[in-house]
Amino acid sequence: MSAVAARRLADKELIVVPYRRVSVSALATNVVLILLGCFFLLPLLWMVFASVDANPDWAIKIPTPTLANFADVIGRADALSSFRSSLILAGTTTVLTTLLALLAAYPLSRMHIPFRRSFMLVILFASGLPVSMLVVPVYQIYVYLGWLDSLYTTALFLAASSLPFAIWLMKNFIDAVPLELEHAAAIDGASTFRILRQVVLPLTVPGIAVTAIYTFINAWGAFIIPFVLTYSPENQPGPVEIYNFMGSHGLFKFGDLAVFSLLFSLPVIVLYLFMSRYFSGAFNFGGAVK
Amino acid sequence: MLSEVRFEGVHKIFGAETAVEDLNLTVNAGEFLVLVGPSGCGKTTTLRMLAGLERPSYGRILIGDRLVNNVSPRFRDVAMVFQSYALYPHMNVYDNLAFGMRARGAAGSVVAERVKETADVLGLGHLLKRRPSELSGGQRQRVALGRALIRQPQVFLMDEPLSNLDAGLRVQMRAELSRLHERFRVTTLYVTHDQVEAMTMGDRIAVMNLGRLQQVDAPETLYDNPANIFVAGFIGSPRMNFVPGRLTTTQGKTAIEFLGVKTPISAGSQLTGETTGGEVTVGLRPEDLMWGRVASPDSTLTVSAEVDVVEPMGHEAYVTAVCAGETVTSRFPPRSGVRTRERVELALNPARLHLFDARSGRTILQRPVAGGADVRRTVREARKEEPAEGRSDLQRQTGARGAPSRAEEIS
Ligand SMILES: Nc1ncnc2c1ncn2[C@@H]1O[C@H](COP(=O)(O)OP(=O)(O)OP(=O)(O)O)[C@@H](O)[C@H]1O
Ligand SMILES: [Mg+2]
Repeated sequence: MSAVAARRLADKELIVVPYRRVSVSALATNVVLILLGCFFLLPLLWMVFASVDANPDWAIKIPTPTLANFADVIGRADALSSFRSSLILAGTTTVLTTLLALLAAYPLSRMHIPFRRSFMLVILFASGLPVSMLVVPVYQIYVYLGWLDSLYTTALFLAASSLPFAIWLMKNFIDAVPLELEHAAAIDGASTFRILRQVVLPLTVPGIAVTAIYTFINAWGAFIIPFVLTYSPENQPGPVEIYNFMGSHGLFKFGDLAVFSLLFSLPVIVLYLFMSRYFSGAFNFGGAVK
Repeated sequence: MLSEVRFEGVHKIFGAETAVEDLNLTVNAGEFLVLVGPSGCGKTTTLRMLAGLERPSYGRILIGDRLVNNVSPRFRDVAMVFQSYALYPHMNVYDNLAFGMRARGAAGSVVAERVKETADVLGLGHLLKRRPSELSGGQRQRVALGRALIRQPQVFLMDEPLSNLDAGLRVQMRAELSRLHERFRVTTLYVTHDQVEAMTMGDRIAVMNLGRLQQVDAPETLYDNPANIFVAGFIGSPRMNFVPGRLTTTQGKTAIEFLGVKTPISAGSQLTGETTGGEVTVGLRPEDLMWGRVASPDSTLTVSAEVDVVEPMGHEAYVTAVCAGETVTSRFPPRSGVRTRERVELALNPARLHLFDARSGRTILQRPVAGGADVRRTVREARKEEPAEGRSDLQRQTGARGAPSRAEEIS
């Protein structure tokens, strides 16, 4: 009886938190954000609608549903081969970049290297350089070496251009692994290799995943470099193929274009969702050090 | 397997900061040496140098007879409890404990057995499947301790291994560590901020301040004969009282004047140093400064004081009083009934005075090693005999003038 009474009393004294009043600045911010969002969402909406529309054009409209566009695209050999090319190109780039970034970032994070700070700044600067600036000299080098029109040599250049940012990203992830863990492992008698494999590597997995996914998404969407460095139809990755869709046919096949774009963005969307899991702190160093 | 550890002229300099300065210290084989000192005095740095995580700027470090300056941590065969725990966050408690044994190639069944043993000793048996992030601070600390205890190294390095445990668990773990040390006698360097841990666990205590070793001695020697004001003030709680005094010599007899009283140097004590102009600092432990009404008969000196603060502690009370313009703390019996502003009589035993040179802070009085029914002493005597060598290597201090070490004076 007394317990119930006490509960009642406590209930009555609940503090009521009033809703915050909407301020003008918050409203303005949201309006701007919504407008910006529309800029990005409307093309996506067009893509989705046009892909299932029997007679699409460049306006967004309620579609007359059909799956003919999908059947059409999937039946086309060049569409399939461009997927294959993109996969090879982005896959090779990702493996190369991630591996090299890991190998470069660890010593940059842990060792006393002369001019390390300046070096990191140069790397950061390099990651901001527009790649298109380099296209002409790189083309000449590729001609000279006879490397043109190969997905693997193209991946080599993509890897080189994505490496600075990848190193930078990876170094920050490795910096976050407490050095004391490596010390503890060394005192525990672990060899350098064991420390790297059993302590550093598992704790760097989020960094490796983020770097790999980020590199993959960039390479997947790369246009200018494969456009310049490859020419045979079977070596054209997706973005170049989309460009061809628009250029080679006098009349746009909007439906096919939409379907192709949609299919081509799917891996990116999936990977983004995957990556956000790592960024949202699903993994942390809780309990490692005080 | 017992190895001694020697620091010879070890310095550690970080940029402009000298973390450890000219450290000369021998930890005897099988000894439990407690390292104490205020925050930032270089305790952790000392341990890290011994573990091989930090390279000394100068000097030599030896484990056994082996110079280890250039030996990597992996091959030094030490186990360390990190102040920050440094648990592997992606492994559960079991794997954290097992890591060191596995790294050294122990068989799976041996590992399982040792992990179980260690976890039971530390009360971690039911937590083996948990990750460090799912443990409380005290549990994490016990895992950190377990990761060291599971091994049988040449040297244990423990950096405040019990600091985060509750009082009960701390007492229990303290006893457990002492028991383990009794049994295996692994040379141990143990850092703590806890006076009780230092006094009860250490074969000897090393006191550091500002990167310099101040004194290394058995706990009761440190307590009865601190080498300087710093050690005197650092060891003992509540802190020793320091009041200014004067040495006067009349007809070959030396007397001390302080708090408005004058007393000759007691018979057993011996002046060991000159003072500059007779200025001295007199040290009085709060328990030696007793309430006149309950004082023992040999507390022949009495001074009058006005009570300022009374802090009841339960089994006793700390009374802060003003006496001849100086504030002093005294230990009173509980429920003495004294109040603020009340005048009380304080009595002290002249034989229990400490004298320090006012200028250098060094002790100038060698007191007899006190007898009497001291609990700590009896515990101590039940222990193994103290190794004679290095028993009292009073360290050189800033501005020291090559005074003879007290070790030589004792013998
Ligand atoms: N890596 C470092 N770089 C620069 N200074 C350092 C470094 N490590 C320690 N120090 C300095 O050296 C001094 C001693 O540090 P140390 O960690 O040994 O103190 P401590 O005695 O363990 O203190 P606490 O009781 O707080 O743990 C401090 O003044 C600290 O600032
Ligand atoms: Mg420390």
